[in-house]
Amino acid sequence: MPERAAAVPLGAVAGRGASRWQPHHLWQLELLATLSRRRALAIKMGFPLLLVIPLAATNAPQFFAGMLLTILIAMVGTVGTGVNVTRSRGSGWLDRLAVLPIPAWRVSLEIFFAGWLVDCLQATLVLVILEIAQRPSPLVILATWLLALATLAFSGTIGLAVATLTDNAGEAMLFLAVILAPLLFLSGLFTGVPAEGVRYWVAQILPFSYLSDGFQLVLHGNPPYGSPGAFLLAAPVFLLVSLAACAALGRPLMARGA
Amino acid sequence: MGEAVLEVERLTRRFKNGRGVGPVDLSVRGGEVVALVGPNGSGKTTLLRCLATRSTPDQGRVRWFRSRDRRAARAQIGVVFDATAHADELSARSNLAFFARAGGASDESSDPLLLETELLEVADEPVSSYSYGMRRRLLLAEALAGSPRLLLLDEPTLGLDVAGQRWLTRVLQERSSAGLTACISTNDTEFVEQVATRVCFLVDGGMVHDASLQELLDSLGGTREIRLKSRSPLPLQAMASVAGVEKVASTGEGATVLARQRDGLLADLLATMGDLDRSLLDLSVREPGLADCFLRITGKALDA
Repeated sequence: MPERAAAVPLGAVAGRGASRWQPHHLWQLELLATLSRRRALAIKMGFPLLLVIPLAATNAPQFFAGMLLTILIAMVGTVGTGVNVTRSRGSGWLDRLAVLPIPAWRVSLEIFFAGWLVDCLQATLVLVILEIAQRPSPLVILATWLLALATLAFSGTIGLAVATLTDNAGEAMLFLAVILAPLLFLSGLFTGVPAEGVRYWVAQILPFSYLSDGFQLVLHGNPPYGSPGAFLLAAPVFLLVSLAACAALGRPLMARGA
Repeated sequence: MGEAVLEVERLTRRFKNGRGVGPVDLSVRGGEVVALVGPNGSGKTTLLRCLATRSTPDQGRVRWFRSRDRRAARAQIGVVFDATAHADELSARSNLAFFARAGGASDESSDPLLLETELLEVADEPVSSYSYGMRRRLLLAEALAGSPRLLLLDEPTLGLDVAGQRWLTRVLQERSSAGLTACISTNDTEFVEQVATRVCFLVDGGMVHDASLQELLDSLGGTREIRLKSRSPLPLQAMASVAGVEKVASTGEGATVLARQRDGLLADLLATMGDLDRSLLDLSVREPGLADCFLRITGKALDA
């Protein structure tokens, strides 16, 4: 590689703050920026509690409780990533990242990863409250927690995919609703999973059906379809598929607006 | 002049509405500061985005440092687009640290850059508290963070106050004299006259002229720029027929006339206006500059 141009000599410089830890990777920068928005973060962490505390404290019907908590996780993942990335493009931030010597797949993965970490905090908080209120077995809570994290990753990928379609945050919300609603239906969240047929098989490849089962297991101890062992196997699969999809979305994501 | 830093061959990039740029040929050598000058919609930003690897040409090709590898080029290019997007909640120092590391530089390069961009005192405050001008300075610091060999700037003086423009001019002059190559998209001709070594005029997506700044300014010897502001439309054709007048272009509020200096020129010009001279609001005569070169060569005013 050819030599770089010599920097202009600038003389002595004060080093105030230079030794402080600074973000070197995009995910660190994005995560720090999110954590710095204290009020937004407090609202983000607080609003699931409005749903989970009444559900955990009362004997809400098992099916509806599982459905509501799964929709909550799905919305957290899709809306968080989708709207954030769409806004980033609108502000010109993605334009700036696109001309850095960082491959598109890594930009996509790092943005996704930073959002996912914050979403995981939210989901963990939900699971902690359920653990305190319901006292399920450690295996059950671990399996459901992992499923929730995998579902957040899957939902975040949907959000990222939507961000490749539009530059408008409002439009992104509409796209998300249009995509998410049928996926939740096909996962059996509204009607239950049929014992056979296309809908049965579709439900097997979507994480929402597993997560709904997981929440029902946590809340009432008797899942209709799955078992903790199956959840533990499914979670890493969904996580890996989501990461691969995120990386693949990097190029279309950065190409939009180019 | 140094080796070829940028080579553009028949580059074309068109949008669905037909606007865009090309075909354009351009070669930039090390140490040059090339200004892409043209009115809004002339394609200079589109061209700059292709040079910055942000857009892919529909046709033609770009070579950076004798290579077509876009990724390798990005490691040696600093880019400032018009958007001032940052991680607003974080400090200038944090933003700069990220861009420095992404450009292959270390944290130690941050403080000299913050000093150079006059942001060191506020480096630990969140960017959200910065003015537009400060954000523009930070953008330049971030673009320079990886010690790039080529700097690409899109409308760098946009939104800068007089002090900000003076600062930018000084930084670019210092950097270019240290060997930095730059390509600037702008229609701020006064700025170009102070920093550029070469000027390319773009009109309707095509490059209509490419010459050194000195060559262009020398070509204007003995001419004067006359600016007229009027309440009513001016008789441009009649004005163009006055002896010595080289170009007449309509501007938003009147006309700009480029003419060879001679006795009686102003009187003859005003005579073409007849009764219309009552609607004249302002008339000024000045030494011509780059904007007049543009008018003479393209027949269009930059501020039309």
